[in-house]
Amino acid sequence: MLPIDAAAHSSCWRRRHPLDKAVLGLGLTVLAVSLPPWPGAALVLVAALVLLLGPARVPARKLWRAYRIPLGFCVTGALSLLVQVGGPEGLLSLADDGPVRAGELLLRTSAASLGVLLLAFTTPMSDLLPRLVRAGVPAPVVDVALVTYRMSFLLLDSMSRVRQAQAARLGHSTRAATWRSLAGLGATAFVRAFDRASRLQAGLAGRGYDGTLHVLVPDVRVSRRFVAASLALLLGLTALTLVLERLLP
Amino acid sequence: MHIAEGFLPPAHAIAWSVASAPFVVQGVRSLTREVREHPESTLLLGASGAFTFVLSALKIPSVTGSCSHPTGTGLGAILFRPPIMAVLGTITLLFQALLLAHGGLTTLGANVFSLAVVGPWAGYGTYRLLKRYEVPLMVAVFCGAFVADLSTYCVTSVQLALAFPDPGTGFLGALAKFGSIFAVTQIPLAVSEGLLTVLVMRLLKQSSKGELVRLGVLSKRKQQQSATEVGTGAGA
Repeated sequence: MLPIDAAAHSSCWRRRHPLDKAVLGLGLTVLAVSLPPWPGAALVLVAALVLLLGPARVPARKLWRAYRIPLGFCVTGALSLLVQVGGPEGLLSLADDGPVRAGELLLRTSAASLGVLLLAFTTPMSDLLPRLVRAGVPAPVVDVALVTYRMSFLLLDSMSRVRQAQAARLGHSTRAATWRSLAGLGATAFVRAFDRASRLQAGLAGRGYDGTLHVLVPDVRVSRRFVAASLALLLGLTALTLVLERLLP
Repeated sequence: MHIAEGFLPPAHAIAWSVASAPFVVQGVRSLTREVREHPESTLLLGASGAFTFVLSALKIPSVTGSCSHPTGTGLGAILFRPPIMAVLGTITLLFQALLLAHGGLTTLGANVFSLAVVGPWAGYGTYRLLKRYEVPLMVAVFCGAFVADLSTYCVTSVQLALAFPDPGTGFLGALAKFGSIFAVTQIPLAVSEGLLTVLVMRLLKQSSKGELVRLGVLSKRKQQQSATEVGTGAGA
């Protein structure tokens, strides 16, 4: 199981309805993207971090491990804004407003990423996917996504074991051997995926499969109090941004 | 490479989502039709989605000595066709955003457009064009995967250049800036992905010929021919 999904399954907000957490997490992401980066995205970043480490009780180490991936991309992307092409100072020169633009971008992406991580760290995909039908996603697409989700872990597990076996047979000792091993890995993934699908098909056919996958979804209700509190927080952050924007330099 | 969460301004994020929507809707329609006609396809399509997800997690050595992962769009488009890849690619990108913090939900439209629409269509178009001129299968597969990978990164460069124009030279300057950064890293990676795809396809031809015929990558006539050759060889 992947670390974020494993953390979501053991989250203290696991029993909350996905809509509760989507309103809060995605609401923070939308605010981070649409409010002015300073002070809007900075406020969203602090709020998301407090929620993640406080009420949602996401372990700080796990959060950092997941957060450093988008953060790395954000830093690399922001660096490109520091320079400009052409101009009187040569082919490449430092952009006048580069540091400001890079800083704003960094704030926006960091805050938006934390909003999505709040949803991801508290909501397993197995809770989220079946409910997408109610949101208007066609049932066959949701079924395919459910099979993809469940089969991905099995395949990743298989791939990990095949990679270990290849390494034990010196499959990564030379560049040529590495390429051969990688090709074998890719082909094995294909063969195993289709083999599992046909075995699953045979098993389901024996149980009267009619093309619809019935999965048990935990019966939880949307908490009006939680949604109202989330909306109040989002409104509060927006109002505070508008006020601080006038007061701060 | 995926554009990270919140990287694009809201107007750009919405515009790229609108641009991707017709392709994804077309893919959803063909997928729904396929599943209604053949209910067992749900499992095969799910397996295909899982294969695409796992393929994008493979680490390939790059010429510069570092490692990166293949986009998988070329192989996916050749095996499953671009309309289906638009849906499978969207599902994969959603999983990557939520399970790996790779990409994002606000940038999903932009990432779908580059990785699940342009990449598969460009790669598949190249592959079909070369097949029409009876170029050997593996050459067509290499070119398809190479073009799919490279076109994905070209579109990403355009998306970033549109969002962050250069202060001095505007869109073209930014395109040169992002394009040159990607060219250094991505051309070797596109070659690597092309080679990897050829190696995978060679192994699949040996181990999963039946599946390749069912997916329309190999024709039945060619499979029968090769079966006869094997039979004759065995008899001799």
